[in-house]
Amino acid sequence: MIEFQLDDTSGVATYLQLVQQVHQALRMGMLEPGDQLPTAQQVVAKLAINPNTVHKAYRELEREGLVRARPGLGTFVTRSPSGTDPVTQARFLAAMTDWLRSARSAGLGPDDIEAIYRIAFRNCFAEGVA
Amino acid sequence: MGAVIQTSGLGKQYRRTWALRDCALAIPEGRVVGLVGPNGAGKTTLLRLAVGMLAPTCGTISVLGERPAGGPGQLARVGFVAQDTPVYARMRVADHLRLGAWLNPAWDDELARHRIGQLGLDPRQRAGSLSGGQRAQLALTLALAKRPELLLLDEPVASLDPLARREFLRLLMEAVAEHGVSVVLSSHLVADLERVCDYLIVLVASRVRVAGEVSALLAAHHRLSGPRRDPGTLPASQEVIEESHTDKQSTLLVRTDEPVHDPSWTVRPVSLEDLVLAYMSRAGDDTPARRQRLGVVS
Amino acid sequence: MIRLSLLQFRVQAVTAAAALAGFAILLAVTGPHLASLYAANGISGCQPASCEHLASNFLQQLYAAGTYWVLYLLGVMLILLTPAVIGLFWGAPLIARELETGTSALAWTQSITRTRWLAVKLTVGGLAAMAVTEGLSLMQAWWAAPIGRAVGHGGNGTNLAMGRFSSLVFATHGITPLGYAMFAYAVGVTAGALIRRTVPAMAVTLAIFAAVQIAMPLWIRPNLFPARHTVIPVTSLDSISLQQGGLNGSRFNLGTGNIPGQPGAWLLSSGAVNAAGQATSTTPAACTTQSMENNTSALMDCLASHGTREAISYQPASRYWAFQWTETAIYLALALALAGYCFLRLNRRLS
Repeated sequence: MIEFQLDDTSGVATYLQLVQQVHQALRMGMLEPGDQLPTAQQVVAKLAINPNTVHKAYRELEREGLVRARPGLGTFVTRSPSGTDPVTQARFLAAMTDWLRSARSAGLGPDDIEAIYRIAFRNCFAEGVA
Repeated sequence: MGAVIQTSGLGKQYRRTWALRDCALAIPEGRVVGLVGPNGAGKTTLLRLAVGMLAPTCGTISVLGERPAGGPGQLARVGFVAQDTPVYARMRVADHLRLGAWLNPAWDDELARHRIGQLGLDPRQRAGSLSGGQRAQLALTLALAKRPELLLLDEPVASLDPLARREFLRLLMEAVAEHGVSVVLSSHLVADLERVCDYLIVLVASRVRVAGEVSALLAAHHRLSGPRRDPGTLPASQEVIEESHTDKQSTLLVRTDEPVHDPSWTVRPVSLEDLVLAYMSRAGDDTPARRQRLGVVS
Repeated sequence: MIRLSLLQFRVQAVTAAAALAGFAILLAVTGPHLASLYAANGISGCQPASCEHLASNFLQQLYAAGTYWVLYLLGVMLILLTPAVIGLFWGAPLIARELETGTSALAWTQSITRTRWLAVKLTVGGLAAMAVTEGLSLMQAWWAAPIGRAVGHGGNGTNLAMGRFSSLVFATHGITPLGYAMFAYAVGVTAGALIRRTVPAMAVTLAIFAAVQIAMPLWIRPNLFPARHTVIPVTSLDSISLQQGGLNGSRFNLGTGNIPGQPGAWLLSSGAVNAAGQATSTTPAACTTQSMENNTSALMDCLASHGTREAISYQPASRYWAFQWTETAIYLALALALAGYCFLRLNRRLS
């Protein structure tokens, strides 16, 4: 289980520091898919911060797709199917989300978007090039 | 549920001076509220009004939907730790726990004993011979073990050394994490705020200057620096909280709900500490003419 | 709350118990000898004619022995002072100490109202105050019973011969100590609530209690019931006054002896009246002859033959308990009023 630190002088919001430390841990391999993040109680016991801050950080990580909260059990790093590091996956998820948004605002409907996706997917993997 | 503390036009006058004036608050539940301001600003007065130790001169206050100290039921839902954490000097620690058990129907004796044990306090020791930090921890334990919905703390860490202060906050935050109690914590020390509070009230010279969620306040305040400029030329939606000028440069702390589009400004975020300090120093120059010029109701 | 009040009352309770125990031991050691002295004088079962003489003998013996007079005074002083001490040390700090030390913020933010807090504290302290004071009084009454009986038989002639109505005895026997204790306690608590500092509250409590305790026997008690007036033959003369001014037109002072036919009555005032019923203070000329000098009984016969008599106002002995109940009721009513004011004051939210 990772342990969080807090830098009072950095000027970065507490919850962001927690989020960044989780990103760091994932990148360095200290956190692996399926690992449990410390509970809010544990973080608070160590750092004496507001538990809402912990919840906010974990919600942000969940929004990024990096973790999942399982009610009654805790918050766990999501298992990625292929084993690519979750931070990279998060990056692409964010890019995809942005693309989808701009596609929608350009007027494309769900069927159009899905059609475009299928064509691109086929083209990409048929070529065998990443 | 609604607001844990709701006030409207609340004021308290002592002889000629107003300790608190025009106080309008609606503090949502589940928050850790930082009540910040210089000494004598009215923080103790507000807390003592909330706990029923004082009666208002004008206006209304309701705590957890009821009148403060309105009855044993209401008293049981609110925990209070007063300034200097008073305890009965000649009573032993164990006797204080008995006090809590006998006077509070919802008393959690196991929690109290566990905490006292964790803190390493000797139950047989007289409370008068405890250190300041230990007294504060005892007072907090007493307030927490009655399992309140709302905890009011009046400068509980002001006279504690940094380690004792951290331990006190740790105990407090653990209680919030475990039991979901709402907390209002008054302090004139700004440094611990960001770590612990998610709602802020700034009280200066008996008036509320700022009240709101910390995340919203931080999002709405920016530090603008750029070429020298008269603050009067800024759009009406940008309220100047603090300004400083050299002959060539202006630095302003503004509050605005809209993004700052003016390219001549470098926009930087404001720390919570700087935000509070800006409001505290601004209140010193609090003339009606200035308030009107800025179109502000503070 | 009751348990908490008792817990916080520990120190006071121990002090009170020690005082009661100490006093009890002192009385228990000396009491039996006092009783045996009484028996030795054969006062019980005495013939009505000789009772007064025997009783006076006993009392004079007792006074001459020295220790019994001292103990008697000690007991009386103790009973008189105990309410004051209770008012100062139990009453004044009750609310004032809580406010001074700030523990009011602890006591009044638990799950009980201030009304309940004060009600229990007042009851526990008040009951203890009454118990201690009345306990001392009852112990003293047991010890001094022989003295009381002797006085009842008409014993006189010493300082020990104080009637039931005399200031010291009335205030230390019967049920009046209950009223004083409760009143002093209430004054203390109220002073503490108003002044909010223990030491000044103690001073004010003492001043008020002392003032009331002086005013009551001087001005209030005698007027609780309308006095009876009657005119009787001159009972006794203060012989000193005769010698001082000489007999020619001298004034005479009436002694305050027992009223004939009214044993145990409370003499409020007495004055001489002449045959016409008017107040007078000069001896009739015929009674100022040389033969009257130093011959008190001849002088009294002469005064009687000239119609000079004594006009007295008094309260009959049968009213003793009426006085006791009334005075106690007054003090208890005052205590109740003060307590009621304290409740109002406390609920008005002190700062």
